[in-house]
Amino acid sequence: MHSEGRLSGVTTPSRGMPSVSAMDATIDVAGLRKRYGSTVAVDDLTFTVHPGMVTGFVGPNGAGKSTTMRIVLGLDAADAGTARIGGRPYRSLTAPLTEVGALLDAEAIHPGRRAKDHLLWMAQSNGLPARRVGEVLDQVGLTSAARRRAGGFSLGMRQRLGIAAAMLGDPPVLIFDEPVNGLDPEGIRWIRGYLRGLAAEGRAILVSSHLMSELEETADHLVVIGRGRMVADTSVADLVAGASGTRVLLRTSQRTDAMTLLARAGATVAVIDHEAVTVDGLSGERIAALLGAAQVPFSELGAHRATLEEAYMELTRDAVEFGATGSTP
Amino acid sequence: MIVATRALHAEWTKARTVRSSGWLLVGITTLTLGLGALVAASVRFAGCAPPGGDCDVDATRIALSGVYVGQVAAVLFGVLVVSSEYATGTIRTTLTAVPRRWVTLVAKAVVVAGPVLLTAVLAVAGSLLVARAVLPANGFTPAHGYPALSIGDSATLRASVGTVLYLCLIALLSLGVALIVRNAGAAIATALSLLFVFPIVGTLVTEPRWREWLTEWAPMSAGLAVQATRGLDAMPVGPWQGLAVLTAYAGGALAVGGILLQVRDA
Amino acid sequence: MTYSSAVPSNGAGFAQVLHAEWTKLRSVRSTWICVGLTFGLTILLAYLAGSGNTTDANSFGPQRFFQAQLVHQSLTGDGSIVTHVASQEETGPDAKAGVMITGPVADPTSKTGLPASPPAYAAIMVTPGHGVQWQSDISHDAAGTTDPAPRWLKLTRAGSRITGYESPDGVTWTQVGTAEVTELPATARVGMFVSAPPTGVKAIRRSPTSIENSPDYTLSTAVFDSVRITGANGQPVSGSWQHVDTSGPPRELPHDSVAGSFTENAGRFTVSGAGDLGVQAPGSVGDNDVVRDTLSGILIGFIAMAVLAALYITSEFRRGIIRTTFTATPRRGRVLAAKSIVLAAVAFVTGVAAAVPAFLISQPLLRENGFAPPAYPKVSLTDGPVVRAVLGTGLVLALLAVLALALGALLRSSAAAITLVIAVVLVPLIIGPFLTLGGEAWLKRITPGAGMAIQQTRERWDDAIGPWAGIAVLSGWVAVVLIAAVVQLRRRDA
Repeated sequence: MHSEGRLSGVTTPSRGMPSVSAMDATIDVAGLRKRYGSTVAVDDLTFTVHPGMVTGFVGPNGAGKSTTMRIVLGLDAADAGTARIGGRPYRSLTAPLTEVGALLDAEAIHPGRRAKDHLLWMAQSNGLPARRVGEVLDQVGLTSAARRRAGGFSLGMRQRLGIAAAMLGDPPVLIFDEPVNGLDPEGIRWIRGYLRGLAAEGRAILVSSHLMSELEETADHLVVIGRGRMVADTSVADLVAGASGTRVLLRTSQRTDAMTLLARAGATVAVIDHEAVTVDGLSGERIAALLGAAQVPFSELGAHRATLEEAYMELTRDAVEFGATGSTP
Repeated sequence: MIVATRALHAEWTKARTVRSSGWLLVGITTLTLGLGALVAASVRFAGCAPPGGDCDVDATRIALSGVYVGQVAAVLFGVLVVSSEYATGTIRTTLTAVPRRWVTLVAKAVVVAGPVLLTAVLAVAGSLLVARAVLPANGFTPAHGYPALSIGDSATLRASVGTVLYLCLIALLSLGVALIVRNAGAAIATALSLLFVFPIVGTLVTEPRWREWLTEWAPMSAGLAVQATRGLDAMPVGPWQGLAVLTAYAGGALAVGGILLQVRDA
Repeated sequence: MTYSSAVPSNGAGFAQVLHAEWTKLRSVRSTWICVGLTFGLTILLAYLAGSGNTTDANSFGPQRFFQAQLVHQSLTGDGSIVTHVASQEETGPDAKAGVMITGPVADPTSKTGLPASPPAYAAIMVTPGHGVQWQSDISHDAAGTTDPAPRWLKLTRAGSRITGYESPDGVTWTQVGTAEVTELPATARVGMFVSAPPTGVKAIRRSPTSIENSPDYTLSTAVFDSVRITGANGQPVSGSWQHVDTSGPPRELPHDSVAGSFTENAGRFTVSGAGDLGVQAPGSVGDNDVVRDTLSGILIGFIAMAVLAALYITSEFRRGIIRTTFTATPRRGRVLAAKSIVLAAVAFVTGVAAAVPAFLISQPLLRENGFAPPAYPKVSLTDGPVVRAVLGTGLVLALLAVLALALGALLRSSAAAITLVIAVVLVPLIIGPFLTLGGEAWLKRITPGAGMAIQQTRERWDDAIGPWAGIAVLSGWVAVVLIAAVVQLRRRDA
């Protein structure tokens, strides 16, 4: 099945089902465990990255994201559990760069080496044609800098060089660790479109990030980990919806009065800024009625859509206090 | 003055909290002692005198010969104090915290010379004690013209003080080289070359003039001339003159390193 | 139902990894700086070794030796001496036992030492390695049968013509050689002699700066019987036998005493002696190995190559590039093997490319400084030992470079790798003089520096180890460290 794949990505995230064919571009992590000395970096982690979508990998610092990625790539050895790509362990892939492309650290470039040589040796190591170097540099917009030594690159240029390196083998699976770090807004928009385009082609993309707002626009699915453990494995829409719950957004110029009034009525009120609050526990109609009766003016009253950041903070706060919660199907 | 004291304090903290520093300082002492003991155990008085001549083995020099290996640890210590900062990028923090760069230079020199001085004293004292115990058993007794090694003897005292100073100067020379070269591996290679290459070249050439020149001007052979307690007239360079040559090398390296530190971007 | 890569791949086999590692090495500036330094330093040192080395070996002329244990009587006028050499101790191929006719020799009891120059003489002798030989001070040597003792030997004098004969049975005589020894006095000394040239060099280290060496003589013993001296008239001549060590009184060095001896028992003479007899051929075990000396600059050049080798791998660890390398090539042993091969090739080419001009530059300089025929025959780049030394220079540089690479892979620190490899090669050379001769030789045999022996082009008494044996020792070190490095690379996290 060597179709020149340009597929509109429609795949059903069937978590837990083993991949059917070796050509299936998925990342399967099962029961992964890894300790460094006395610190547990990854603890019984299980999730699947499916093709055709961007899967965001999020968690606080030190949660185990980079460790997991390194284990998937065969760089670090897990103490227990398995990590498979298309059903096979990384080290058994014959031309790995044509199956998985990875960007782990944009700083991993020799400063004295020209950008094109940095890509050339990678291409040669997997028997890829030399023309790929020019092609990927073109894709990321670094053609003019090809002959420059990487030591003089800005952080954004190094990130793009790392992305180019990941794309050398045109792989169906891509793993990016913090690819947005150091990119300017233009660069962030570019990579968002780039990643979504790659996913639309049917590739499996795993992206880790700290920027929740960015992931919100880019990712379809989220794997949230905290302290090495799975916290959530769900689509972005579901997570945001779950966090939004029944909260109502209220915008009013008399915030203090409104807060007192609603709190007395039994609602939980949280401040967003000097004019806006979220109200939990009362329906929108009820709030409107209460405010109208007390003649407190308001300019906006509607269902509150939580940001991914809020959802995430809520989620990982629970995780820290109570340990891993079950993941939603 | 306060700036200097603070800089000194900072440099000392940096130096002592790097794990390799302790090992290297211990290495100076143990390597010097170890090799010195080995050499002292293997020289014999019997057969040492040519027919119709005197034995020309220099007991003090033999006792202190461990410095040939101990100095490698001193080189590493001097180099890593600087090179590790360049490797990790800490140098930028250092130069921002103490903008007057020559103050940093002096502080680093003090932080290198001080601990090396202490370990060198231990190394030299230990070597003398070991040799004092071992040499008589090999025939180097007062009856044969070899009184027991003692600091009270002025020549031995000079050799001991000179050897301690030698180790300090080697560490300072390495510090200077590291400031010039910055990369740890290249700096170590350069410093070790400066020390070891000249004696090896000396074995390749037989012209007496060239050999004399090498002994007079090569850092290691000139510097270690201070260890000699016999045959001083026949040496091409006197004990303190030799040490002065080494001081010039170390001073020159520190000066060039200091200028580069001042002038270069971090 | 998912994306497939549209890029063709030739596979990620060993050839591909090799190609990638070569690109990595050549695309970094420091590589070429180090190669240039290696090249330059080696040639510079060859120049220094060439112009800084002088010798006066040729001002001596061929050396004549006349050292033997001689048991003799006087013979006036013409005559002959016949003897049967019953047995000869085989202490070496050139031990000599035979009969000689000679001019005046030193009185054994006199303490005035050697005569000013060796007397006129002629001798016929048997040797364990070359059979019967004829020698006279006019330096015409001749050879007879190649059989060793026992043998019958005869020497005849007719005026100033001396002739030597040999026979298996004392009946049938074959002439071996003849000469006109004009300076032989009317009354000459005639008798049996034994001599044995040195088989090596005895060396004593008196102090770190002085070594004395002298030839290592081993006493050889021969037994003569049926000795008969006949005068001009055919009548037997009898007299008392005198015995003398022609090299003079025994020297005072305890290790050097080669006092010979002589006993007689009912017509059987047992004589022991040692010494050189004849003209010394040019080239001895004390001569400088000029080719090796000029190529030794590689000891300094290798420092730059060690820096290159260590950085080749440790720069990957430092910057995290090692992870990229291992994702492209998960089989880590392959990566280290490919690096080793690429590095070894570069080092080998650099070493040979430096050794050739080093040789060509230094040889004319050396010849100007006295290292010329006949004491030092001309050597050319195509001579067997020189080819071995030049290619060997590349080989030893390659092995040392791979050793530095393996240490860097094992220790993950360029400082540690570079320090270790420089120290382990150079420190033994510096501290060697402080140990006993045996200790120094042992050090030269077991440390990686033993590989430098490949540069030897002639045998010297102070060679600690042979050329290929030295390479084997160095290869052993490299293999051990490489294997340890591969094990660690596979086991540890990247």
